[in-house]
Parts: sequence; structure tokens; C-alpha cells
Amino acid sequence: MTMSTFSKRSIAGLMLLGMIIPALAACGGAPAAAPIKETVVVVQTAPPEVQTVVVAPTADANATAAPEATAEPTVSEAFSTPHPILGDVKVRQAIAYCSNRPEMIASVYPFLSTEEQASLLMDTNVPKGHWAEATDGITTYPFDAEKGMALLDEAGWKDDGSGVRANEAGDPLSLSFTTTNAQFRQTWSAVFIQQMAACGIQIIPTYAPASWWFGNSTGLRHRDFELGAYAWVGEPDPKGQTLYACNQIPLPSNGWEGQNYMGWCNEKASQAILAANNTLDRAERIKQYAIFEQEFTKDMVSLPLFNRTEAAAASNNVEGFKPNATEYYTANIGEWKLKSGDTVVLGFTQEPSSLWGTIESSASQRIPAFLISSVSFTKYDYDYQAVDLKQLPKLDNGGATNTDIEVKAGDKVWNTDGEPVDLAPGVKVVNAAGETVTYESGTVTMKQLAVTFEYNEGIKWEDGQPLVKADFELANKIDCDPESGAQDYTICKSTAKVDFLSDTSYTVTYLPGVQWPEYFIYAIGAYPAHQVLSDGRKLADVPAKEWQTLTEITEKPLSTGPYVIDSWVKGQSMTFSANPNYYKGAPAISKVVIKFIADTNQAVAQLLTGEVDVLGNETLGGGAEVQQVLEAAKKGDLQAFTIASPTWEHIDMNMFVK
Amino acid sequence: MAAFLVRRLLQMFLVTIVAAICSYSLLYISPGGPIETLLAEKQNGGANRIDQSDIQRVIERFELDINLPIRFSRWLIGWPNGPIFGSFGADWVVGCTTPGKVRLRYPDGRTEIVEEGCENTLTLAELEGRKASRGVAFGDFGESQVILRGRPVTDLIGSRLFYTLYLMGGAVGLALLIGVPIGVYSAVKQYSRFDYTMTSIAFVGSSLPSFVFGIFAILILSVLAKQAGLPYLPSGDAVGVRDYVIPLLGTITAGSFFDRFLRFLMPCGVLTFINIAGWSRFVRTSMLEVLSQDYVRTARAKGVKESAVVLKHALRNSLIPFVTLLAGVLATLFGGALITETVFNWPGLGRLYIDALSRSDYNVANALLLINVVLLLIGILITDILYTVVDPRIRLG
Repeated sequence: MTMSTFSKRSIAGLMLLGMIIPALAACGGAPAAAPIKETVVVVQTAPPEVQTVVVAPTADANATAAPEATAEPTVSEAFSTPHPILGDVKVRQAIAYCSNRPEMIASVYPFLSTEEQASLLMDTNVPKGHWAEATDGITTYPFDAEKGMALLDEAGWKDDGSGVRANEAGDPLSLSFTTTNAQFRQTWSAVFIQQMAACGIQIIPTYAPASWWFGNSTGLRHRDFELGAYAWVGEPDPKGQTLYACNQIPLPSNGWEGQNYMGWCNEKASQAILAANNTLDRAERIKQYAIFEQEFTKDMVSLPLFNRTEAAAASNNVEGFKPNATEYYTANIGEWKLKSGDTVVLGFTQEPSSLWGTIESSASQRIPAFLISSVSFTKYDYDYQAVDLKQLPKLDNGGATNTDIEVKAGDKVWNTDGEPVDLAPGVKVVNAAGETVTYESGTVTMKQLAVTFEYNEGIKWEDGQPLVKADFELANKIDCDPESGAQDYTICKSTAKVDFLSDTSYTVTYLPGVQWPEYFIYAIGAYPAHQVLSDGRKLADVPAKEWQTLTEITEKPLSTGPYVIDSWVKGQSMTFSANPNYYKGAPAISKVVIKFIADTNQAVAQLLTGEVDVLGNETLGGGAEVQQVLEAAKKGDLQAFTIASPTWEHIDMNMFVK
Repeated sequence: MAAFLVRRLLQMFLVTIVAAICSYSLLYISPGGPIETLLAEKQNGGANRIDQSDIQRVIERFELDINLPIRFSRWLIGWPNGPIFGSFGADWVVGCTTPGKVRLRYPDGRTEIVEEGCENTLTLAELEGRKASRGVAFGDFGESQVILRGRPVTDLIGSRLFYTLYLMGGAVGLALLIGVPIGVYSAVKQYSRFDYTMTSIAFVGSSLPSFVFGIFAILILSVLAKQAGLPYLPSGDAVGVRDYVIPLLGTITAGSFFDRFLRFLMPCGVLTFINIAGWSRFVRTSMLEVLSQDYVRTARAKGVKESAVVLKHALRNSLIPFVTLLAGVLATLFGGALITETVFNWPGLGRLYIDALSRSDYNVANALLLINVVLLLIGILITDILYTVVDPRIRLG
């Protein structure tokens, strides 16, 4: 009895101690002198400063192993001390040379052939085959451990025979490596760690939960890493300004704004990426991206590893299935054919919350949307192609104009913070020459972009009514209404006016100063203004805030595409039938069913047993299930495709210590 | 009995409230969520850049600007949704729409911007006009925030409830019908060949996770069987979308009774098997304990027939602990089998719950959690009452 009382008491005591110690520790860690607090005015998040800077072409673009070309970032507080190891470009390059990336690829994608594996390897921040990919003048890092070790020797990290290199002071060449705990990353990381060990670099891995690594105030966002691995997703517009410009380095003093987690500031690269992001001329963009990629690969602040791979598969009965890295596979569903039968069943991992693209823009909405809406353009192979538009309206084909106009105080303009403002003294804008100027008085000449979208003749709604001007007008009104529920309204805010010219064309004129590099894709949608709802109201009369719950919009929208939606059984499937009023003629396949299958194993089983005909890359992914599908394809049971996904893995190197 | 019931109902009410507070708060304080995703996108440049006003709208849609206790109260009883005492107290702060930011200037010259305090507060008056449910206490679970955006949670649950009930009902019913007799027989014939066989099977059943069974079942009964040209079972779903041919059985019409039956077999079989494995062991152990009691020996000594000894004297007494085990069945019937439903693509509530969690649909997840808690408590109450039926010596009160 005594014993038990004693033990209970001691347990309670220990628990109390357990609670007190962390509290004491927390108190003890406070700085001796309290900081001074200043209130910060909360402003709209400013995008990176928009300025077009013309950079003179560089003479020696193809330098290899250039010594310390990196400029010091313009900070003088936290993250201002160069990293004792990664601050040296030779070490960073050595890491790149010591990385046998084909081996890493083979570890995660053993089911791919050697050629397919090789095609995933990336040399720059732009995926292979992209229009902005530079091939000349960039520094490549083929696996060469000898070269890597020589660079380490040069940098003063000598091999003392212990297996881990050290400098003269005896500090070991040891780096922490942080990434998520996803199995995929742990697999290739294990290979990477071995490769580094072979060069005498000790890697201490941390496989953190994604919620910490990508958290809002933890991990990557607060630059809490030395080597850090994660992925970016390539797009037709390579962008990059927020990732690599000098003014995008997240710091405690700027509220951690920006995504340049490496802390890399190379003036030439920074100016090139700004220029590439802010000009409308494709040739100029290619030139600037090339300059950027040369600097990026030379400084080796972030080692591009490989594109992930994804597979897509279809039964042999389906003809015309064309999966692509940057476009959804239903984009050409109107052209598909079946060898036998009249129904094609698509398996899809996630059910859309709504078919209304304004509030739901994920793949789950886009895939069915291609069946029931006219498509202005597609984006195959990292580029754009006109479909229901007569052409992509560009400056060089007369579809768009970018004219100089004079603006004066009181005129609405687009400022450098990316906001519509009335021009007044103190407002910063970009003038027609591409310089950032602060307005004081008088007039300033700015660029004004106007884009005319012209649609093919004859587009009709499924009820046979033609697409008319009022339909575009309604779409413009609703989609730009702040109560519609859309995620952002940046395009709407940057628009000065829309002139609806005819039933097939309209011109969007942007505010002076707006220079969207992809101006030719921001077409307005169309809603059937003539449609009468089940409650007797006309669609055009329904206020925007009600639209997200309107069945006629979210679940059974009127179609202008090759199919019309017949039914949507929640949690199970959607059924579509051929649209007899489709302006390009009814499609060959008369019925399409989209089934929602959350589990990939189940989806593959349904493909193999013939219950579904098509699994796209967003459903099949690149996991272990792919192997089974590829084997079935090898036997001729089905057709399978592996695609280099736009998602690419890379290792960032933090150039500074906290 | 009446006093017992009143006391228990009161307890149930309190437990429900506490459980609701816990589950509600835990869901909201777990990392991730819609704002985290948006904040990551805020960093992007270009034409689809997110700004503070975009984030504000999402915060408002998910009511994240309202302090947790007030948000909970609105969810539970649909109150407050405006000033409580007319103009008095209309300016009481109930949340924060824009968090404040301060710049800390350290003596060594470093600066840091951190979130602290509140830039724009939310008052009671500003709650007026916002969409609010009548409160879950009054049967209104609010609107789905993501999965079926803007439409009632009850619609979503309604579309799945039937499938879960019939899968779980079938599996639990079959498991009881088969598991209890196996347990009894194993106990009576302890260390017989039957007992050993059943023990082995039960060990397999209770040690392997359901998804392993599910995947094996799909592979063998569906994929491999079909490839071998044998009769096979459809690998998943509750109902087919187009006709299919099964060797020997011929063409199965999608949506027909037979189609639904074939699809029901595998998930139901897996769940039944797992339940049998657990329950038969439980009944066996409990039976063995009772069979060694003096009163059983006495009954046998009196010359009572063996079947009567087993079924009347032993079984009834051995069922008391088993009935306790069944308390959770009611909640299980509703909650569905999270993993099994996902593996077999069964459109039930278990899959919905997983979906709601992964897509931060707080209202849907909270509704399912709360209903489960209530059903579990009702299950326990029924169990307590059942004790008196199984064992008349037990008196409630």
C-alpha cells in the first residue's frame, strides 16, 4: 500500500516536472534585451517589382566552374553570413558533379527503360522540350566524382582518410539535408546520400512531414535548411521571377516574402529573369531566359534533378487517346473513336466539387469541362494552340496591340505593386520605356494592351441556340463579381474595359501598365444568357452570389462542347452523351462515363478487368502501380504511355546561415 | 430504470458536448487547411496572383476569422449570428479579419516582422448577414465547404448513407451469425481439429490489415480470375456503369440486382471475415471461462442435456462481455469502414470522411464525427439495457 502511494506520488511529481521543465526552458531562452516593437501597416501583398530591364548579352556565357560569381545579397542581418560550406561555389558544383542523377532516377522509376530514364534528367530550371529551355552556354553537370572531389580539394576540403572530408580547422564536410517523408523522396535521397559519401561529403537527412517542410511559418518558408529537396511544377510560362530574383529572398525583416529560399542574388541573373518575365516578345523572352539559365547553372545554387514521370493508360479499344504533360487528356475527346461499343469509361481519382470553372479550377473540374464547353485554346507541350478561337490573338498577328498612351493624374493605372490605382503623386508605375518611375505631375507615357478574341462561327449551346454577345457579357459580369466565389480577380482588376464587338468577338483593354506575358489566353468565358432556370428566372437575372449553388451551373451546365451531361451520381460517376448540336459535329463516341475511383490500386484493377477504359496521368501517377500497367501493355493487353511530368525535383542549397 | 435513463441521458448530453468541443477544435488546429494552401500560392507572381482580399474571402467562407468558441457555438446552435442584445454589445469583438503585424527591432540591429495582435477586428454586428446554419443541435449540419461546395452536408451524407448501411449491416449481421456459433463450438470442442483450424484462421484475420485482404481479394478474385478466363467478381464500386460478361454467368446488366450483389460480395466478405476473426475468439474465451464455472458443472451433474447446458446456462452468461463489444456496432454501421470502402471504391460514408479530412471540408468531417459520437453513446446505452436482458441479475438504477 505504502509502495503504491509512493509510486503514484512520484509519477505525479515526474509529470509535473515534465510540464515545468519545457516552460522553464522556454522562459530561459528569451533574449536578455527585449526588442522594440513597431506596428507594420498590413498592405496587399506586393508582387515582385515589375520592371523591364534590358540586359546586354554576356560575352562569356559558357564559363565552367567560374569562381565566386555570386554577388552578396543586400541584407545586413539574419542570413547575412555566408554558409561556411555552401557559400563556396566550388563546393556547390562539387555536389552537382558527385550526384549521379541517372542512378537516382533509376531508383524511383525502375520500370522505365534507360532511354526513358535519361529523358527525365534536367539540366536547368526549365523542363526539356520547353520553348524557354536553353541548350547553349549552360553549364552541365554530368556525373564525374573525380572532378567533384578535385573541386572539393581546391576548396580546402581534404580527405584525411576518415571518409568525411574536413577543412584545415578540422571542421567536417557535413551538411543537413531536409525533405518530406514521402517514400518516393526517401528512396532517391538514400541514393544521393551514398553518392555524397563516396565523395567524402557527409549528409545528415531529415525526412520531415510535408506540413512542417511546406508550412506557412516553418521549414522551407523560413529557410530552415542547408540542403533542401522539393519540387516545382513547370508551366507553359516558365515565370521564375519570384523564385530567383534578388528582391525575392525571404528574410525575417521582410516578413518572409519571396521564394528565393537559397538566398541567391546574382544581379545578371536577377535582371534577366525580371526581363524575361515582363516582356511580351517571345524572342526576347527566350534570349533573357537563356542568360538566366546560364547564370543559374554556373552558380549552382539549386541542383535540378529530374522530371517526375507519370503514366496514363487506355484500353486497346480506344483510338485517339493523347496524354500530355501540360494538357488534360480529355482536351481532344471529341476526336476519340472506339473499335467496338458506344461507351467509354474514364477513371478519375477525385470528384469535382462543382462543374463551374469559376469556383473550381482543379483537374477534377477541367477534365469533365473539356467535354461540355467550347475550348478557346489547348496547352500541349508547354505551349498554346487555338481551338475555338480563330487564332491566339498576338501582337505579331494583329490580334493584340500594345500602344503608348499618355496618362495624367486621376487616370486609373496599374502600379508596380500590381494594383489598380488612380494616378497621383507618389504612385510608382512602369513607363512605356520599361522604366519604373514615380509619378509627380503632368503626363507619363505608358503601354496599354488591348487584345481581340475572335471565335469560330457557328458555336451553339446544346439547346441549339447560338452563342451570342450577351453570353460573353454575362460571363464577364459574373466572373468579375467579387461575390461569385472565384479564388482571385487579378485579370478583372487589371481590365480597363471590354468591348463586345459582335456575337463572335470582343476586345479586352487592360489598364495602362498591365503587361501580362500571356495576354493571349485570358479569354472571357460564356454563359447561356437565354437559359430559363427551373424556378422560372432567367440565368442572366440571377445575382452572382447565388451561382455557386445553382444546379444549372454547378451540376448540369448547358454545354457548348462535344458532350452534354446527363447525370451525376454523387460519389460515383458522371454520365455524358454526344451533343447533337456541337458545332463541329457530334463526336464518334456516343456515351462517356467518368467514374470516381479514389484508390489507385482499385483504378488499375478496374482497368485490367475492363471496367474502365482510360486512366489519365493524374489518376495513375508514377507509383508502384504503374509497373503492373506497363507490363500489361507489354503483353498487348492495353496501351500505356509514360510522360515526363512537369513536376521536377531539385535540391536547393542555402547559401547563408541564420 | 427511469432514474437510470434520466441520469444516463444527462451524462450522454455532457459527453456529446465535450466530444464535440474536442473533435471540432482538433480539426481546426491541425496543420494544413485552405489558408495554408492559399498562402503558398500568394507567393506566386503573374496574372493569377492571390492578394490579401482573396485570402480574406476564403477566411470568411470557412469562418476562420471568428474566434473558435464563437465559431463552435454557431456550428452547434447557430448562435450568435448578429448582435445579441440589440445595439448593446454590437461592437463586441468576436474575431479578427486581418491579423496584425509588428516589426521587432532587436538591440543588435536585426529586424523581424512577426504576426501579432489584430489589425482589423470582427464585431458581433458584422456577423449579421453572414450565412449560418441553424446549428447541428437542430439537425442542420451546415453547408459543405469543399466537396459539394455550398450545398447542404445532409445531401452529401444522404447520398452515401444507404451504401454504408447495407454494406456494414450485411457484414455485421453475417459476422454475428457465423462468428458466435464458431466461437461457441470452438470452446465446447476445445483443442479439437476444428478449434485449431478456427484459431489459426482467426489469427490471420485479426493480424492482417483490411487493405491487405482487400487487395489480395481484388487480385485473386477479380484480376487474376478474369485473366485466367474464369468467372470473376467486379473489383469495386457499388453499382456498374455498363454491362459486362462473366464466364458461365453470362452478361450482367449494369445496375441490376445481380450486378449490385456481385459487387457487394467482396467488400462484405472481407469485413465479415475480419469481424468473425475477432468476435469468434472473444466468444470462445468467454465461453471457456463460463464452461469451467461451478454452475455449469452442477447443471451437467444434474443431468441437464449438453445442448441445454451450452446454450442456456453457458452461452447466455458468456454473452455479457460480448454485448459490451457490440456497443460500437451502431456507430460502425453508420461510420462505415474507412479503409475497406476506399479499397473497394464503395461510395459510403467512410470514404466520404477520408475525403472530407484530406480536402479540409470541416463541416462534413465534423458532422460525421458528431453523428458517430452520438451513435456510439446510444450504442453503449442500448448495451447497458441489454445486460438486463442477457443477465436478469443485473439491475439498472
